[in-house]
Amino acid sequence: MLKRTYEEINAKIEKGDAVVMTAEEAIQLVESQGIEKATKEVDVVTTGTFGAMCSSGAFINFGHAEPPIRMSKVWLNDVPAYTGLAAVDAYIGATEEREGDGHEYGGAHVIESLIAGEAVHLRATGRGTDCYPRRDIDTYISLKSVNQAYMYNPRNAYQNYGVATNSSEKALFTYMGKLLPHYGNATYSSAGQLSPLLKDPQMRTIGMGTRIFLGGGIGYVAWEGTQFKTNIPYRNGVPSSSGRTLAVIGDLRGMSTEFIRALDFHGYGLSMAVGIGIPIPILDQDMMTCAARTDEEIFAPVLDYSIQSRNRKPMMEVSYAQLRSGTVELFGKKVKTSSLSSYYKAKVIAERLKKMINEKQFTLTRPAVAMPTDRSQKVLEVCSKEEVL
Amino acid sequence: MSKRKFNLYFIPELVNEPITYILVKDFDLKFNILRAEVKEKGGQLLIEVDGKPAQITKGVAYLQGMGVKVEELNEFVTKDEERCTNCGMCVSICPADAIEMDRQNWKVIFHLDKCIACGLCVSSCPPKAMKLKA
Ligand code: SF4
Ligand code: SF4
Repeated sequence: MLKRTYEEINAKIEKGDAVVMTAEEAIQLVESQGIEKATKEVDVVTTGTFGAMCSSGAFINFGHAEPPIRMSKVWLNDVPAYTGLAAVDAYIGATEEREGDGHEYGGAHVIESLIAGEAVHLRATGRGTDCYPRRDIDTYISLKSVNQAYMYNPRNAYQNYGVATNSSEKALFTYMGKLLPHYGNATYSSAGQLSPLLKDPQMRTIGMGTRIFLGGGIGYVAWEGTQFKTNIPYRNGVPSSSGRTLAVIGDLRGMSTEFIRALDFHGYGLSMAVGIGIPIPILDQDMMTCAARTDEEIFAPVLDYSIQSRNRKPMMEVSYAQLRSGTVELFGKKVKTSSLSSYYKAKVIAERLKKMINEKQFTLTRPAVAMPTDRSQKVLEVCSKEEVL
Repeated sequence: MSKRKFNLYFIPELVNEPITYILVKDFDLKFNILRAEVKEKGGQLLIEVDGKPAQITKGVAYLQGMGVKVEELNEFVTKDEERCTNCGMCVSICPADAIEMDRQNWKVIFHLDKCIACGLCVSSCPPKAMKLKA
């Protein structure tokens, strides 16, 4: 049986003769040539996803003012940033809302502005101390003026996700978009057959240190994402509900607003669309089998969002092929579907990553540490000091 | 024959006039009521009119003569192509099937001719690509 190593693949990339295909192309190749031939032929399969990833934000170091200030409160374009860090470091969270006028503008917009190369208004206050005498500052920053500005997103690239619908009488405004009453629509949010973590379902090749496409630039997998879990149902070897996640890191410089976009979910709040692409090295036939799974073989659970409980049970499972056809059948009713993540952009990302590899701008990395193989997600109970120990 | 869309604004005194009947009988116009609202200050009717261009012009003149404010609807909402991520959230929201996912290239197409100007897509679009025309 064929085996390939990272070193072999990278050597081929360096020489310019690696065979790189997007997941869609790999699916077609396997369909026409069979798995064995396809495994032999292809070195790397590229994936992509572009969707709302609320758990996102950026660290910024502003540099020191004269006289210096130890910033204890910071606002960027009137959006509060977290400052419980060193004197001139802050973290701007994507879902943080601008103070004063409600919810249309927030951290995600600030990040988008910075990436667009725009000036951002910085206001800060401090207590005034012997080494940091200044008490306030009012100025502008940009990606050019600051020291570091890097995205650190604790939970991105969810491995699969639920399909949202609404059985109740009234419309619901959720992070899955607007859900019309009486099963009026169903929304989903995964790129399915193009989605990175669905193409390497056991995460054999994606771990800490894996180099990825992040927001138009190059980033890295930093850690397991929050709510990472492995005790999940599988169908055809692929998780059929939400499972693993990634914490990712990458320089804001080099990113593009084509792949980072501020979102405003009416009646819910703000979020940020993040574009992520991950190359899957075809180390052996098993890798190819997973990487070539189609939308017909990947399933997601349907959840009724009118049940406001963490314990809502899936009503049924539907495939991404059904979801992407535009309608799914729920209890005998034809229900229109909408995607929250952009399949179009997922395709663009997989293509872009392929191009970067072909042009030797991107080589593959072996994970420094593998991801956990046994993780379940805990819940939060209201309990006493003794009960929690 | 041509199809055009108009927003009609009625003052309260006109609400009881058989205006639509006259448009059909005297001007030979077919129309479809897309949206109707009655408020304290009168009513508003969004109609799509189908008929000979000359007859439509005459019908509009008749309405204006009656004191109805007539506003033609060319572009009620617009789609900012740069801002649109082609996610498709608006597709299942639009009651008029005016927004469609092109399954060849996975881009979202907006059919202005089918739009009934309900505005639902504007608030439902996460990156705010659908905008109300001012
Ligand atoms: S305004 Fe209403 S009818 Fe027109 S595109 Fe938007 S949702 Fe569809
Ligand atoms: S919801 Fe907005 S961004 Fe998404 S396809 Fe529709 S117009 Fe484009």
